[in-house]
Amino acid sequence: MAVGAVVALTATACGPGTAPAKSGSGGGGSTAAAGSITELDYYTDAAGSAAWQQALSGCTAKTGVKVKRQSVPTDQLIQKVLQGAASHTLPDLVLADNPTLQQIAATGALTPLSQYGISTAGYYDSIVKAGTYQGKVYGLAPGVNGLALIYNKDLLSRAGISAPPATWAQLKADAAKLTKGSTYGLAFSAVNSEEGTWQFLPFFWSDGGDLSKLDSAQGAQALGYVRGLVASGSASKSVVSWNQNDVADQFTSGNAAMMVNGSWTLPALDQQKNLHYGVVPLPTPQAGQKPVVALGGEVGAIPATGTATQKAAAKVLSCILSEPTMLAWDKSHAYIPTRQSTAQTFARQNPELSSFVAEVETARSRTAQLGTAYPKISTALATALQSALTGQQSPAAALAQAQKQASG
Amino acid sequence: MDISRTEPGGHPAEAAATGPSAQPPARTGRSGRTGRAGGPGRPRTQRSRQRLAAFGFLAPALAYLAVFFGYPLVQNISMGFRDYTVASFYTGAAPFTGLRNYTEVLGDPVFVKALVNTAVFTAGSLVFQFGIGLALAVYFNGRFLGSALLRSLLLLPWLLPLVVSGAVWRWMLDQDHGVVNTALRALHLAGGSAGVPWLTSPSWALPAVILANVWIGIPFNLVLLHGGLRAIPDVLYEAAELDGAGPWQRFRHVTWPLLRPVSGVVLMLGLVYTVKVFDVIMVVTRGGPANASQTLTTWSYQLSFQQFQFGQGAAVGNLLILITTGFGLLYLRSARAGLAEAAS
Amino acid sequence: MTLLTSAGRSRARTAGAVVITAVLLFPLYWMVNASFQPSGALLKASPDWFPVHGTLAGYREAFSGQTGHLLTSLVVALGTVVVSLAIALPAAYALAQLRVPGNLLVVFVFLTVQMIPGIVMADALYTVFSRLGMIDSYPGLILADSTATVPFAVLVLRAFMVSLPRELSEAARVDGAGYWRVFRSVVVPLSRNAVVTAGLFSFLFAWADFLFAVTMTTGQTIEPITVGIYRFVGNQTADWNGIMATAVLASVPAAVLLVIAQRYVVAGVTGGALKD
Repeated sequence: MAVGAVVALTATACGPGTAPAKSGSGGGGSTAAAGSITELDYYTDAAGSAAWQQALSGCTAKTGVKVKRQSVPTDQLIQKVLQGAASHTLPDLVLADNPTLQQIAATGALTPLSQYGISTAGYYDSIVKAGTYQGKVYGLAPGVNGLALIYNKDLLSRAGISAPPATWAQLKADAAKLTKGSTYGLAFSAVNSEEGTWQFLPFFWSDGGDLSKLDSAQGAQALGYVRGLVASGSASKSVVSWNQNDVADQFTSGNAAMMVNGSWTLPALDQQKNLHYGVVPLPTPQAGQKPVVALGGEVGAIPATGTATQKAAAKVLSCILSEPTMLAWDKSHAYIPTRQSTAQTFARQNPELSSFVAEVETARSRTAQLGTAYPKISTALATALQSALTGQQSPAAALAQAQKQASG
Repeated sequence: MDISRTEPGGHPAEAAATGPSAQPPARTGRSGRTGRAGGPGRPRTQRSRQRLAAFGFLAPALAYLAVFFGYPLVQNISMGFRDYTVASFYTGAAPFTGLRNYTEVLGDPVFVKALVNTAVFTAGSLVFQFGIGLALAVYFNGRFLGSALLRSLLLLPWLLPLVVSGAVWRWMLDQDHGVVNTALRALHLAGGSAGVPWLTSPSWALPAVILANVWIGIPFNLVLLHGGLRAIPDVLYEAAELDGAGPWQRFRHVTWPLLRPVSGVVLMLGLVYTVKVFDVIMVVTRGGPANASQTLTTWSYQLSFQQFQFGQGAAVGNLLILITTGFGLLYLRSARAGLAEAAS
Repeated sequence: MTLLTSAGRSRARTAGAVVITAVLLFPLYWMVNASFQPSGALLKASPDWFPVHGTLAGYREAFSGQTGHLLTSLVVALGTVVVSLAIALPAAYALAQLRVPGNLLVVFVFLTVQMIPGIVMADALYTVFSRLGMIDSYPGLILADSTATVPFAVLVLRAFMVSLPRELSEAARVDGAGYWRVFRSVVVPLSRNAVVTAGLFSFLFAWADFLFAVTMTTGQTIEPITVGIYRFVGNQTADWNGIMATAVLASVPAAVLLVIAQRYVVAGVTGGALKD
């Protein structure tokens, strides 16, 4: 460690821009913060990238810390982090998808946020849990997202449906009624990846399913319900091959009257002049319940790269999590603020997103209960979903096999 | 992997040239080469000079091999014997676990499925890529207006990033609204109004990814085989035609035997590339539905980067290398025979 | 190009070739069509077969942000061709024409190393290159891409050189030429076809590579076009209009190069280099 500290000192002495040295434990020393840091995120698309750049630039202005940014395609981020961990060239600040934080923290390369005085007070419990690994908070998100039901107003009124569905029974009946010609009542994603699991979890959890016991009766009931939507023809059999982009494309092209999708799709939908859509929380098994959706969004984490750079990264992250930046970023990216008070302000300012704000209150972290075991269970659940939807196995049998696979 | 054991004596070419496995030389076009001086009777000094020269020419490639492939290969083999976790990337520590990764992988029900899928995917892709590629190569070998231009246009699929071609294929193969099913319906081949469930049925997903992969692979086969055809002297065809050989006989007795070295390398490279195809499957089906199009490569990726079982992922990769090595040895045997033929 | 005895037959063949090409390139047409249309347009119950109500928005976006990436890709692809041929040509000559023990073992090794999973190669090279300060540099990316093309080029060139009559090079040797001169003045010119083929595919490999491109660059200084395309792919959104327009844009310069290269092959053949 002594060597690491010396190198870190010389690094700062050389001025900003010098590559940060490796340091095993980044205890909050007395060294001054570095003048510039490196950052890694996956906001590659033009709109998302510009919005994030704005947040970062604003924070550079406030903190005086320059941010050298790198954005990679979504499924490359974890690889980039692992490559950086192997060669000890990790970025100073990482924005990672919240279910992958467990894996990144498990490398041992992250530092707890408490050591920089970043507090979790006022944040939704679920988002704090998503950023917690082995009792310590390693990541906090400036915004989260969840799934809701987005419907085509014209198609619903043409079918004589006055109000969008709120219960499973209504969803089933309305989807059947809306299925006509080349249009399906409902579109969702059941693809063979985390996206498929993420879309199924609201059904699974709202009905009382449990990720640590996939083959419960409630889980099978939820899977049976979703399978019924496909089997009855109210949703296309193609859901097993659609990711969420494809679902949105099906919805905009008029092939689906309703879809399960996230707040991030709304800006793209707004660009379709002929499309009049509405958003409501996902239907629940019984009337009056609140849906339990999975929590989405990216958490900011600080790898151990050297005292000076860690300190600078903490300054930037604190700024990103501050109320004005949080509000601006979430508005431009159609995300929901992660502090209750900020979210309430946000809901007042952006009423069109209020369905999503309401859902975040009851949203659940995918990894809170399972930690690093989650990916294996998620893979097993996605396979079971596909197996049941393609009619290869009954819901109960598919989930029984998934449970065996997940615990094996 | 101990390759030297499979080739006792270390002089494979010479051994084969005089050994019983040498092929009869009497093939069209080779006969002119008999009676050449050399072979076993060459002076010793010339031989060692040739060896020295050969080594000189090979040196850059050998150095390149050692530097760029040695480390990754050793790393992958070593990973397969270790409990390699995300923490191992950072700390470098990964306890040795012997064959445990291999026993776990081999005991997984997905393994057999992925193995069979890999075999079907590879065989299906190779047969159609090579067959169609050869047919097109022969067709485009004739001189006609625009031949060269059209042939180079056929290379275009290679230029596309897979995220693009994959997305296009996913749209085209969409069961309800895809253009492929629209066309099949128009031709009354779709089997009812439902259309072919290309990407959504466990029995069609593998054929669908094979279709997409064949499309991507045709240019490779076409251009290489076309190059091989171009190298066959016209006089041989003219002679065969004078002897009264029809088109099929000319193909059978002139084209096919003379195309053998190129065909061999095209098929062997095709095998190596097809077995490890990853992006096409990932983009089109992600190995689904329900593992119906999961191959060893996609499964290896899933184990490593979705389930973070890097040791098991590496073990699957190593098994794949082992399997292809087997095929490589088969290729070598035939290549050796080919060399012997050329030398005789 | 001389028309053969029957001009009619040639025309029929051309027509056939056009049909074949059209069928095989239909997915590309579908991509071009998509590049002019908004998301989801190709999934309508009756899709627009022609981009009549199209938009140029995708192209405007692509042009404004992607031209620099195209140039990067071009440099990397051409660099990869040079490196691959420089290493592979002498090696292929030795393996095909100079008979020494262990040759087939080398061939075999070149075949086998291509089986190492791409991501393993990328991880290992990243570690080495980051120590050498070669991340975000042209040499780094060119060398990384060459790992995919050198073995390929060696095997393809060797396969062609094996069928070169060895009398030619041996006659030159008898005339007193050294191995290097035989290689340079006899073998390489005679292998022009194969050289162009190997070079062509090396170019295509490097042009379309994504894994090394995303691994060996950070976007700070250089960024190839395959990574640039992801500027239109978000976490859970995709601007297909922009993606497809970029893909079309990326194909055009490379397609032009391909046509030129192909003409070169034809010129070599009609020049009689390989015919006797």
